[in-house]
Amino acid sequence: MQPPGSPPQKIALPNIHNVIAVASGKGGVGKSTVAANLALALARTITPQPSSGKEGIGRVGLLDADIYGPSVPIMMGVRDVVDQRTTPFPLERYGLKLMSMGFLVPPVQAVIWRGPMVHRALVQFLTDINWGPLDYLVIDLPPGTGDAQLTLTQTAPLSGAIIVTTPQDVALIDARKGLEMFRQVRVPVLGIVENMSYFQGEDGTRVHLFGHGGGQKLAAEAGVPFLGEIPIDPRVSECGDQGEPIVHRYPESGVAKAYQALAAMVIEQLRRTDQGPELPEVQL
Amino acid sequence: MPVALSKDGPDRLVIEWSDGHRSVYTWRHLRDNCPCAGCREERQKPPDPFRILKPNELVPLAPLRMPPVGRYAYKIVWSDGHDSGIYTLEHLRSLCQCPQCSVRAAYEPET
Repeated sequence: MQPPGSPPQKIALPNIHNVIAVASGKGGVGKSTVAANLALALARTITPQPSSGKEGIGRVGLLDADIYGPSVPIMMGVRDVVDQRTTPFPLERYGLKLMSMGFLVPPVQAVIWRGPMVHRALVQFLTDINWGPLDYLVIDLPPGTGDAQLTLTQTAPLSGAIIVTTPQDVALIDARKGLEMFRQVRVPVLGIVENMSYFQGEDGTRVHLFGHGGGQKLAAEAGVPFLGEIPIDPRVSECGDQGEPIVHRYPESGVAKAYQALAAMVIEQLRRTDQGPELPEVQL
Repeated sequence: MPVALSKDGPDRLVIEWSDGHRSVYTWRHLRDNCPCAGCREERQKPPDPFRILKPNELVPLAPLRMPPVGRYAYKIVWSDGHDSGIYTLEHLRSLCQCPQCSVRAAYEPET
């Protein structure tokens, strides 16, 4: 359960108060969209910072841990590789601090790496980037239970994990696996969020396109909180493709309000969650 | 959860658990039950009576470090350089060699 040649050393991130992993068992459930919009919603929720005078600016980070298929650059409107000589990392967009492999590698170039390289890149993103003081660092994990997940659970001081699912059984099966992984490595699961839960017509009618209640059922089954439902809105993907997440572009939309409610739930769960003691050191 | 881990002489590790249990292990037992993929595969092979020992197998084996891995496991860095085994807390508990656990293990059906 570890990339060879890379002993896991626990990373200390004293300036980051909460590190939240956003995960899913399956790809395509909108995890990166949830991570980006949740980060923005958290930033909007934070009490105004006297230093900046702006709401939450610079106090929330978003780390794209999907090394092979980074989505944060396009979602945040970073279309080209970033020249590190002129633009220091992390980048800042919409009040968030951002880091992604996509800032270093052109979109057409594939990253063909084995696990140890992924491990090294993630550790560098966490330790070599000057994140500054953050209230929340949201980590957008790749789908599954592979190297990135292991690296972060073994080395990063995760405050908790959020599992993203869609209502269908096929997504729920894999969400269970993601949940089980965090349990096995003793990372607190803050809860389950159901994305693409329903479409709301102009008359207020909700249409449950992919079934109903799957996320809630899974949360009840696993004994973890259900954090909420995020509705489908065609503007979500439009905003993502245009590089401005919906929480920023349409803050009054139903989806943006669902994300604000999600952020409030996440903050509450972080407050309630007992992360348990660190393992004692051994003197040999 | 373990509350304290300490060396008991040169050959033993002692773990005090939060439920009051006190586990005792020899380092040899821990190494023989290393959970890494390489050691697991090695254990499945039939013993080779003509196996030639490598130079690092001729010197006594000692643990150098035992750092925690996340909140769920420990790894042991051995004097021969082997360090890929991650011992989850459940695995460590199952390997306990205290008299009580040894008796229980002796009567458990093999899986």
